[in-house]
Amino acid sequence: MAELNFDKVLASLKLRLNEIVDEAEFDDVLKEYTGKDSLLSVERKKLSTLSKDDKKTYGEKLNNVNNSITSNIKKAEQEFINKKYTSLENEENEDITIDWITRSGTHRHVISQVMDEVVEIFASIGYKVAFGPEVETSWHNFDALNTPDWHPARYESDTLYTDHNLETLLRTQTSTVQIRHMENNDPPVYIVAPGRVFRSDQLDATHSPVFHQLEGLAIDKNLKFTDLKGTLEYFVKQFFGENIETKFIPHFFPFTEPSAEVLVKWNNGEWLEILGCGMVDPNVLDHVGYSKEYQGFAWGVGIERLAMLKYQIDHIKNFYENDLRFLEQF
Amino acid sequence: MKILKSWLNDWIDIEDINSNDISEALESLGFEIESKTDKTPNYKNILVGKVLEIYEHPNADKVRITKVDVGSKTYEIVCGAWNFDVGAVVPVALPNSEIKDGFKINKRDIRGVESNGMICSASELDLWDDHSGILKLSSETKLGSDFSTIYSSNDTLWEIGVTPNRGDCMSHLGIARELSNYFNLSLQENSNELKPNIESVIKVNSGRIKACNSYQSIEIENFKLDDSNLNIRYRLSAVGVRVINNVVDYTNYVLHDIGQPLHAFDRDKLFGTISVRFAKDKEILKTLDEQERKLDTNDLIITDDDKPIALAGVMGGYDTEVTDKTNNLLIESAYFDKVSVMKTSRRLNLISDASIRFERGIDFNLQKQGLQRFVNLFENDQDIFYSNIIDSSKNGITYNEVKFRKYEIEQILGVELDDEFIKNTLTKLKIEANVSDTEIIFTSPSWRYDLERPIDLIEELAKHYGFNNFASTLPIGNNLNSKGDYWDKRLYLSKILSSSNFYETQTLSFTDSYSNELFTPEKKSVNVINPIDRSQEYLRTNLLSSLINIYKFNVENNNHSNRYYEINNVYDDSNHKIFKHIPNQEYSLGLLIPEIETIEDDRLKTKSNDINSLTNTIKKLFPLCEFEQLSRPGFHKNYSYLIKLENKIIGYMGKLSYKNKSEMELEQSLYIAQINTENFEFKQLEDNIYKPLSPYPYIKFDLSFSVTHDFQASDLIHLIESILKENENNISIFDNFTNEKTRNLGIRIVTRNYDKTYTEAESTQILEMIVKEAETKFKIKLNRRAENAT
Repeated sequence: MAELNFDKVLASLKLRLNEIVDEAEFDDVLKEYTGKDSLLSVERKKLSTLSKDDKKTYGEKLNNVNNSITSNIKKAEQEFINKKYTSLENEENEDITIDWITRSGTHRHVISQVMDEVVEIFASIGYKVAFGPEVETSWHNFDALNTPDWHPARYESDTLYTDHNLETLLRTQTSTVQIRHMENNDPPVYIVAPGRVFRSDQLDATHSPVFHQLEGLAIDKNLKFTDLKGTLEYFVKQFFGENIETKFIPHFFPFTEPSAEVLVKWNNGEWLEILGCGMVDPNVLDHVGYSKEYQGFAWGVGIERLAMLKYQIDHIKNFYENDLRFLEQF
Repeated sequence: MKILKSWLNDWIDIEDINSNDISEALESLGFEIESKTDKTPNYKNILVGKVLEIYEHPNADKVRITKVDVGSKTYEIVCGAWNFDVGAVVPVALPNSEIKDGFKINKRDIRGVESNGMICSASELDLWDDHSGILKLSSETKLGSDFSTIYSSNDTLWEIGVTPNRGDCMSHLGIARELSNYFNLSLQENSNELKPNIESVIKVNSGRIKACNSYQSIEIENFKLDDSNLNIRYRLSAVGVRVINNVVDYTNYVLHDIGQPLHAFDRDKLFGTISVRFAKDKEILKTLDEQERKLDTNDLIITDDDKPIALAGVMGGYDTEVTDKTNNLLIESAYFDKVSVMKTSRRLNLISDASIRFERGIDFNLQKQGLQRFVNLFENDQDIFYSNIIDSSKNGITYNEVKFRKYEIEQILGVELDDEFIKNTLTKLKIEANVSDTEIIFTSPSWRYDLERPIDLIEELAKHYGFNNFASTLPIGNNLNSKGDYWDKRLYLSKILSSSNFYETQTLSFTDSYSNELFTPEKKSVNVINPIDRSQEYLRTNLLSSLINIYKFNVENNNHSNRYYEINNVYDDSNHKIFKHIPNQEYSLGLLIPEIETIEDDRLKTKSNDINSLTNTIKKLFPLCEFEQLSRPGFHKNYSYLIKLENKIIGYMGKLSYKNKSEMELEQSLYIAQINTENFEFKQLEDNIYKPLSPYPYIKFDLSFSVTHDFQASDLIHLIESILKENENNISIFDNFTNEKTRNLGIRIVTRNYDKTYTEAESTQILEMIVKEAETKFKIKLNRRAENAT
């Protein structure tokens, strides 16, 4: 019996596989070598003419060849695909050190971000945002806050007025919102009032005619100095981090008593003032007609000051020039 | 205010207390530490010597040769100063010593004479600025002493902040009184009784004026105008006071020592009776600084029979000042009302150590002690004659007893203070009080203006207890659910705009009239009567000018054309909508989108915007809003709209007019809008109601209608939405082709039934219905049916 030269078949398969340029050809090759019209198929047809022993031997051999062809093709196909992916991936080689999108900030002004952050902290312990006018009566800005008419803060050199009788002005402190809110709402009161305040200063590195404060006010039955301490310590830790050291030193504000300043210990060991606060003076509560069973505390914090500390900004003018180089950093 | 440790030590024994502990005490008592300086001598090996002989230098006219005895030995020293004679006791720098800033002194040949060092001036030893010659010391100083041991050369200086309510702490005595409680030390008594030995000449009658409660004086004869002693000059210069002569120095010393301002008159220039009154309008007084001051009826003055002689508490008169020809003195020690002194000193811009103390309120019982201290200091140096103290006081000030329940302390502070602490503190602060089991009754001392009410004393106790010794508790407020409408709106707007390539700005509220009139001529501006800058005296009536300025600034400086927004107040002169007596203020949102926008990805080109970019943004912010065309000043004639939300006008928007674009020298057109955030509520913005998803396949139609140029696409969308209101829909415009003659609008309708799959026939039926209704209602015409899918 003339056996097919299987080595020759396998050799030709190898050549054929090397020529493949498209993934789809592998199916064709498989058909060519094992399909209906393949040499292998022709040989298989001959099996029925062979003796039982020969049939078994040659049959096994044909099977082996078939397996060998199939596995060669599978293997070649796998290699072909792997090679294709590898070369695809090799082609993709961007320089990731190029920043095509160089402006990465949140697009919110840093003052607004700091205000939001402070509001968020107080909102988490039950405070709501209150709002009051920026052009105010002198009464709300000074008298109601226990600042008598001879007080130096009322001089035109410090305060911007909007009428010649000095009865309306651009508020110099957000404490006015305390009064507005209490005039229109019954206790208990837990509010924060972020907003603009105004002073007669030229815009330069350390001054601005416009800046931002956040005023806080809590009035309830049984609010005490210890509550004031706990509240502001909570805020400072939330804003600057759990490990910040805080101290309270006595101070004077016309509309709180006792009054204090809160200092935090900065990285360089320096103590920095960040807040003014105190128990609301009984006169203020009288002015708005609250009953004597209510008392509480108030505080004020400078937003620019917090922003300057947090981001190490050294120039107040930056906040109001709105130079994109500044805006896009935050 | 500056305070010196050695000076405090005159009042309480704190020499052995570490100065850092004193700093901590000062701070915990409410005196902010502005600086703390450890003072050490800025010289080495300076000895005290006495000039035994003085003779001429053989080769030089401008210097003399002295023989100086430094106790153990005598040296020949060449000296260029002429302000001393034989017998003067002086600081001497021998060879191997150092004067100011490490300058080494050695033997030196001066024109052929060997000089064994130098005799020093105060400046050369870095004591104070004095160019009048060498420093003369008391003749009793021991010769050969180390100069640094004859005064407090190792000392600590603090600069502290004293709050405006604590005038009583504007002196070393005041600070020492506070510290005496902190360190539990007793306060010294430092005044000696006077033994007058002449009769007074000048009468004093302070009159009935309330602004002067007390006017006391003393007359001094037989004195010599001279330098004050070393210690006085050292202390005064350390606390920042210029040393002048003994009379001026002692008045200044008393002021910094106990807080009583004094004024020295040349007695022989006074005539008749001294009295106190308010000035007549336009009355003139020439003050010490040789300025002619025009007075008004608010100015409190001191007069003699002839003329005004001083501005009370502010500055003395030129004509009666002490000069080197003065033989006799009259020293004034008075109490003037704080408001009167404040008004005069501010009006004339004359602010002195004295006026600052009167402004804050001085002790109304201190006048006699002030004169005593002055005479005591003088007596130490010279044998002077002095009169009785002439007292023209009215005792017009008294303090009432204040009584309160002890539990009020705990009620305010949250901590109970024990009786011993309370009693001890009040004793140390010299506050007269009666502390019982249930009550505290106290009377404020004459130097404390700030202790009128129970709360004032409670604060005092809290301060001395130490704020940092209180516990901390965290109360929770009553608003855990909402931050409030105002803030919710602000956050909502910011969140959307900042994620749509807008940069938020914060600009000043001031502007010029041009910027206000450009966009909002209908509004009358509010102006600042004392503006910082005359060209920016108005409060802005719109945010648009500010946004355009920032836009221009960044195009010019950074070559970036971006979108901006600002949320802040605009103001106008109409009445405030809620509050009386103040102008209208509207918390507003301003938007700006440029025609050509710089993209934040450098690989891409710029992006073009048109009026729809602005309307899309506004729709995104206010999904339920509608636009109504209305030409506004400053805007493009057609591209100018009112923005309405549920039929209420909330703002306006459009394209900047070509005229303004050109006048503002802008290269590009801008799309701008302003919205009053007070005209809607946060809940009107929430359009986010869940629309159920249909499980059935969609059908889709792309239709093209021929429409007129002024047709509004939203009308067509609304119509189709109403036809298909039972379905899940997605209806959008995909094409808007316009030329001079025609306009074609392409609309895509994607719709799903909630209950079934549409058949081909049903689908066609829907399509026909839509086309028919649209054509009937709007007089528009279907061009073609581009596609009709399953």
